[in-house]
Amino acid sequence: MKITLRVPKSAVSSQQGQLVQWHVQDGGIVNAGEPIYTIELEKSTLDVEAPFKGKVRRIADVGETYPVGAPIAEFEKLD
Amino acid sequence: MTPANGLPASKLAEIYRTMVRIAACNEKIEQLLATGAAQFQYYPCRGQETIPAAISMELRSDDYVLTTYRGIHDVVAKGTPMDEIMAEILGRMTGTSKGKGGPMHLSDPNCGLMVTTGIVGATLPISTGLGLASKIKSSGQVVICNFGDGAANIGAFGESLNMASLWNLPIVFVCQNNRYAEYTSFEESTRMASVAERAAGYSMPGESVDGTDPNAVHAAASVAIERARNGGGPTLLECVAHRLQGHSFGSDETHMDQGRLAAARAPTPIQKLRQSLIDLGVGEAEVAKIDDEARAEAEAAVADALEAPDPTASELFVDVFEDPAAIPYSGGDKPIGQEPDLSTLPTERINYNQAINQAFDQAMASDERVILMGEDIADPAGGVGKITAGLSSKYGTDRVLATPISEQAIVGSAIGAAMAGFKPVPEIMIDDFLMVCMDQVANHAAKLRYMSGGRTSVPITIRSANAGNVGRFGSQHSQSLETWLAHVPGMKVVLPSDPIDAKGLLLSCIDDPDPCFYLDAMRLYYNEQDVPTPAYKIPLGVAKKRREGSDLSIISYSWPVVECMAAAEELAELGIDAEVIDLRTLVPLDWQAVKSSVAKTKRAIIVHAATEFCGFGAELAAKLHEELHGSLAAPIRRLGAAYSPPPFALSLEKHHFPTLEGILELAESTAKYSG
Ligand SMILES: Cc1ncc(C[n+]2csc(CCOP(=O)(O)OP(=O)(O)O)c2C)c(N)n1
Repeated sequence: MKITLRVPKSAVSSQQGQLVQWHVQDGGIVNAGEPIYTIELEKSTLDVEAPFKGKVRRIADVGETYPVGAPIAEFEKLD
Repeated sequence: MTPANGLPASKLAEIYRTMVRIAACNEKIEQLLATGAAQFQYYPCRGQETIPAAISMELRSDDYVLTTYRGIHDVVAKGTPMDEIMAEILGRMTGTSKGKGGPMHLSDPNCGLMVTTGIVGATLPISTGLGLASKIKSSGQVVICNFGDGAANIGAFGESLNMASLWNLPIVFVCQNNRYAEYTSFEESTRMASVAERAAGYSMPGESVDGTDPNAVHAAASVAIERARNGGGPTLLECVAHRLQGHSFGSDETHMDQGRLAAARAPTPIQKLRQSLIDLGVGEAEVAKIDDEARAEAEAAVADALEAPDPTASELFVDVFEDPAAIPYSGGDKPIGQEPDLSTLPTERINYNQAINQAFDQAMASDERVILMGEDIADPAGGVGKITAGLSSKYGTDRVLATPISEQAIVGSAIGAAMAGFKPVPEIMIDDFLMVCMDQVANHAAKLRYMSGGRTSVPITIRSANAGNVGRFGSQHSQSLETWLAHVPGMKVVLPSDPIDAKGLLLSCIDDPDPCFYLDAMRLYYNEQDVPTPAYKIPLGVAKKRREGSDLSIISYSWPVVECMAAAEELAELGIDAEVIDLRTLVPLDWQAVKSSVAKTKRAIIVHAATEFCGFGAELAAKLHEELHGSLAAPIRRLGAAYSPPPFALSLEKHHFPTLEGILELAESTAKYSG
């Protein structure tokens, strides 16, 4: 199973998020609960953690701002 | 092992299990949000898990719980299946409310979870009704009414605690004090050191406990629940448990005291209890198993929910009312009901207000579930205009409840009792006073069926008097507010114009499965008619043709119908044959009656006592023009109250409300209009 990780909507009015930092290499593997990237939202900064063990394919670039819903990474489930 | 003071390890482990189930559920939701898989406003309950986990240890499955937008923990603890919660949060058809309620409106009456509200403080008035129902039925059911510390400062708090105390209701008011209301700290919103202190003002026990200590919460809740269950009345229980994040998912934390926040997080209440279990000798493996099971449950629930179908478009109009045919303009050519034949029934000559009284009497005699609540409604006062005179003497003050002046609690108590199987008739003395309880009326009574996906319903009849045009009652006692209510999907709106309708429509409202707003008119109270003596019903949604005519339709409702009938007689002398349609109910609307009349006469005026601007006449005129545009012989005209607050001086009042002269003038010019 593969899911796309996207810029979250942090509040009813929020529009965008800025990718601050990757915590894993492109193609790297993370365990459930480990951070994948940090994203700055309009009112807070969020460490997005792996919902399950999986392999990360980076899509977005650090320092760039993306609209809510834009893809940041592909995340493929591993057993 | 059992600690010296407190619950044995086995009980603490049960509490722990509920807490980690809550945490797993919350975490999964936050994960869906963080990864962008779901997008909605979410209010995490982190830090407050101990409260419902400990309280629910003492609850029966038929005990009632009410909670707020931040109430996932209360919902999980009461026993709602996690897959239904997840599906609702994702707006899916398999959710608790078929996706119509969302995270702010979870409800599951099967396990006693009656209301989740997005309106601060609104659980309190409704809890009084659930408590009242339990008390009347002697069912022993206890009500757990949850709310935040911020909600303790809203008016509904005072009304509800006072009423619960006065009526000795089986309620535990659980104030979950997480130290903040959005961006405002507890200290910034009150000079009181605790919410519990306020209990003294209502002569009920109040206690404040550490809401992260399972033993403390459990001990205090046990006492309060037992007191409630055994007829000892309500308790105010404050559980202090610091919020572990900002107000909502993704909101900032800069306004929070960073020292206190850090202390609350290290360790979290869950980590603390986990350590206690280990210290009490529960094995690490056993605790880990509880953790794993909770995580797996939440995981499976999300997976199921993500697979579940979205509600389809046809679901939009389901659960607005029990019968979708009550939705305006939904009926096509099908009549909503049939006018009953009353001609064979014995009659007696009585007034409009006596007819209302008779309807109450017959409804109460035939159905124990009919109860009344309102200000001054019991004897000897017998209500304004003696509408309820004699009823408390006949049926007792347990069924005819004279209330404090607490409109939110009056309507809330009716809503709660209705959800628990009663047919309550709350009275708002004069309709202008609706303003102080509009939240209960419009956000709760009207919407709970829909927000719960049809799992709960609110069959109440809010009876109120319109005191317009009785002479010198001024700006705050004379308005006609029916249009406000017609504007809220889910509320039926009923306005009788004669004694026969006053009785027959009221009996229909009381038995109706949906909330009805029944507005009678003081101007009509002493109008007499031969009214059938036995009980009979006039269906909601059937207009009455008061006069047959061919030149012009006059459409009206409530007291102006009397003026319209007088006008029609005078018009006849001028050679104008007017047809008079009395709508009787605005919702359901008998659109066919209106349309077919105007299709025949090709000319119409609409007359009502409410402000003409944006009044019900505007709706009808627009719709008539839409559907009959090509065939109309004159523009549809309206006559309502002038655009001023109702004035006091008679010399002004007579220019404010529609008058016979005004109706005549408008009718004549419309009948004679030739382009
Ligand atoms: C009547 C009403 N006013 C304002 C709001 C907006 N609002 C939502 S939550 C909230 C704070 C409530 O604080 P509290 O009662 O302490 O509950 P908590 O959110 O801390 O659980 C406010 C003001 C609302 N939902 N309802």
